[in-house]
Amino acid sequence: MLSREENELLTRTGPGRPAGEYFRCFWLPALLGSEVPTPDCAPVRVRLLGENLIAFRDSEGRVGLVDEFCPHRRASLFWGRNEECGLRCVYHGWKYDYNGTCVDMPNEPGRHGFENRVRITAYPTREYGGLVWAYLGPREREPELPKLEWARVPDSHRYISKRLQDTNYLQAVEGGIDSSHSNFLHASVDAFLLKDSYVENVKNSGNLRAKYHALDKAPKFTVKETDYGLQIAVRRDAEENKYYWRLTQFLLPSHTMIPSEENLSIHGHCWVPRDDETCWVWTISWNPDGPLSKEDSETIRNEDFVHAQVDPSTFRPLRNKDNEYLIDRDLQRTTSMTGIHGFAAQDQALQESMGPLVDRTLERLGTSDTAIIAARRRLLQEIRGLSEDSQPFAASHGDIYWVRSASMLLDRGIAFEEGSKELTKAEV
Amino acid sequence: MKENGCDQRGVDLTNVNPSHIVTVESFSVDIMRSLVAHLEASTKFEHFIYREAELDAVWSLTAFYLLNEADMEKRKAVELLHLCVHRAHDLVAKGQPEAAAAILRAFC
Repeated sequence: MLSREENELLTRTGPGRPAGEYFRCFWLPALLGSEVPTPDCAPVRVRLLGENLIAFRDSEGRVGLVDEFCPHRRASLFWGRNEECGLRCVYHGWKYDYNGTCVDMPNEPGRHGFENRVRITAYPTREYGGLVWAYLGPREREPELPKLEWARVPDSHRYISKRLQDTNYLQAVEGGIDSSHSNFLHASVDAFLLKDSYVENVKNSGNLRAKYHALDKAPKFTVKETDYGLQIAVRRDAEENKYYWRLTQFLLPSHTMIPSEENLSIHGHCWVPRDDETCWVWTISWNPDGPLSKEDSETIRNEDFVHAQVDPSTFRPLRNKDNEYLIDRDLQRTTSMTGIHGFAAQDQALQESMGPLVDRTLERLGTSDTAIIAARRRLLQEIRGLSEDSQPFAASHGDIYWVRSASMLLDRGIAFEEGSKELTKAEV
Repeated sequence: MKENGCDQRGVDLTNVNPSHIVTVESFSVDIMRSLVAHLEASTKFEHFIYREAELDAVWSLTAFYLLNEADMEKRKAVELLHLCVHRAHDLVAKGQPEAAAAILRAFC
């Protein structure tokens, strides 16, 4: 259970709010590099942490991220002309460079250098891992970029998608670390009902996740506090003297990694507040050992698993609440627990059904919610720490993000921290 | 190695492992005793999270009970437990498991 005050503290990310200030300590994914593909291309609207911004790539290839509104008459710079190292407001011609400095003010008489004293809010950006990252905090405290494995592999090893979700970021993060929902929300009807034919099938298959999920429906949770956030380990009974462990990573402020399987691509998310009632869901699949094969790419890009198909201009998923996520009730009766196609749409449907910002004082949690409780406490610890002027350690230590998720079979006598040590080290 | 989730019934409550999550099936005296013993043994973040999860579970169970129970006498006792579990939960969240245990001892 959370108090109303704690729920507010965790979920409000606008300027001046404690969680808002916390997110403003980190580099955050802001847009795909391909949204601003070439110098002087069209500017793009970016909404982040409740702020309306405009991104543009200037003539020298630098990405500017500035306040959407021209300070002169508050017209939107979205309509601006991206020209010769600056974005010109087409209302009265004021022009800004990527740093937010006004470099031209053609409608003012005399031109007494007034333009040099005018600035608009501009945030630093970095291109890293196929994305443009932004830092919305104080200039003197610029953090390190997180050394995430997916961001450091060559472009050919990675696929990233972006989608808009109509919920607060925390609902989405909680979905990302909640291992117990996958036995239900993402299950087939046969798996949920443990039909004999299904159990026989998975018992003899190499799909360890399906096998042990079917054999042990009441997993045990363990959490471990780390410098970068949390390790969340879920244990299921396996063959005699063995446990099957699945390890999820939660990395501050809002990255997660799904338990990965040996020799398969790894998947992760970053859930970035757009404002208090919507968030950007960044989904990343990567193979640290080599380029994604054509087959891998096709499997990853289709909607079966974690990526969703979206409208390319708004990033709104094609399956969304307005069309009831294209639910197929016949499929729900016979085949899939939800009747909704794809894990991403299944997650989004349920998370959005809770409302844009769920009232957590009304929840009734149990011990299977341990991971969610831990993530909330870890974030509260950090947010309250910052309010007392304790700067977040993770923001200034990019190296600590050098980790992976994992899944493994371990002897019952081996603690997961020991058994997973090698598997959770990232390598590029 | 003692593992999270092993059966806590009948264990020696003077020697509990705070890394275990107690299986909360009810708010019986036995369960409350086990919770208090685990609270007393808890010293770090991970332990506090497990205790918080257990108390959340008791709070949920008592809330559902109160929703359905009409008998005023029975309600009275559970209402007090529900309230105290809430207070104990918030104390654990503040890193004060001993204080939380003290509140719950009355129900053991």
